[in-house]
Amino acid sequence: MSNSSLRPGADEEWEDLLRQWRAQPSAQPRPFFYGRVRARLDDAAAQPWLPAWLRRPAYAVMLGLLGMALSGDSAALPSAAGAAPQNEAPGSPLPSAVPQG
Amino acid sequence: MVCSLPLSAVPEPQAARPAVAAAEAELLAQLQQGSEAAFRTLVERYQNRVYRTVLALLRSAEEAEDVAQEVFVEVYQTIGRFRGDAALSTWLYRLATSRALKHRRRARAKKRFAYFTSLLGFDNHVLHELPDHAHPQARLEGKQQLQLLLDHIARLPDQQQVAFTLRHEQELSYEEIAAVLQTTVPAVESLLFRARQTLRKHLQPSFRHV
Repeated sequence: MSNSSLRPGADEEWEDLLRQWRAQPSAQPRPFFYGRVRARLDDAAAQPWLPAWLRRPAYAVMLGLLGMALSGDSAALPSAAGAAPQNEAPGSPLPSAVPQG
Repeated sequence: MVCSLPLSAVPEPQAARPAVAAAEAELLAQLQQGSEAAFRTLVERYQNRVYRTVLALLRSAEEAEDVAQEVFVEVYQTIGRFRGDAALSTWLYRLATSRALKHRRRARAKKRFAYFTSLLGFDNHVLHELPDHAHPQARLEGKQQLQLLLDHIARLPDQQQVAFTLRHEQELSYEEIAAVLQTTVPAVESLLFRARQTLRKHLQPSFRHV
C-alpha cells in the first residue's frame, strides 16, 4: 500500500514488520492435541441428551406447570374461578360497586 | 495410518493440485464413513493452522487451544453434512474464525456484565480485566513493534481482522480468503486495504513525516 503522507522507506518498514510477523517461530498446540480432542468427543457422547438446566427438578416442575397452564386444562390447576360465588348472574355488579344503605 | 500428503494453503505447482484435490476427496470420503484414522489424519494435518488462526484472533494460548478443540469436535459431529462445496481447508478456516469471534464476543459480554454488576454494588469476584495475553511469538522475541502490530490488529473490525490474519499470518490467497469469508475477491481487497490503512495510521508514527 502506498500512502503519500508516509515518508520514503515507510513501505519497506511496513513490509519488514509483516515479514517479521511471519518469520516468528510457529505457535503450536501443546503435544497430544488429538488425544484431548478425542477425550472431548467421548465426553460429549457420554452426556445425556437433555440440556443441563432441564435436568434440575425445579426447572422440570416449572416446565410441567407451564405446560398444563398453556394446555387450557384448568381443572388441573386451582383457579380463582373456583373461589368465586357460584350463584352470581353474569353481569351482576361486584359487591363493592353496590350502593350501601 | 497418518497420511502425510501436504495440503498447504500456499499455492502448489499446477501439476500437484489435482493430486492434492484427489487426496482431500479421499480423506473426506473416509471421514464421512466414520474412519477414526481419517479423523486423526485430519486433526494432525490441520491442527497447527487452526490453532494459529484462532490464536491470532484471541491472543491467548489457553483459549486458542480450547477453541481449536471445539472446531475439530464440530468437524467430527457435522462431517456427514459437509457436501464438499468448499475445500476442506476453507471449511476449517471458516469454522475456526467464526468460533474464535464468537468466543471473543462472549468473553467481552461477560466482561461488560461483570463491570455492570460491580457498578450496582454486587459482590462480584469475577470483576477483573480479562488477561490481555501477549502473543507468545511477540513475548518470546520481546519485539515491541510486533506486539504493537498485534495489539492494533486486535482492534480492527472482525471481518478486517480475519481477512488480515488469513492473508498475512496464514498467507492465504485473496481467492481463498474470499471463500472462507463467503464473499468476493474485490470485497477482500477492500477489507485488506482498509485494515492496512488503519494499522499504518495508528501503528507507527515512525512511518510518517516528522
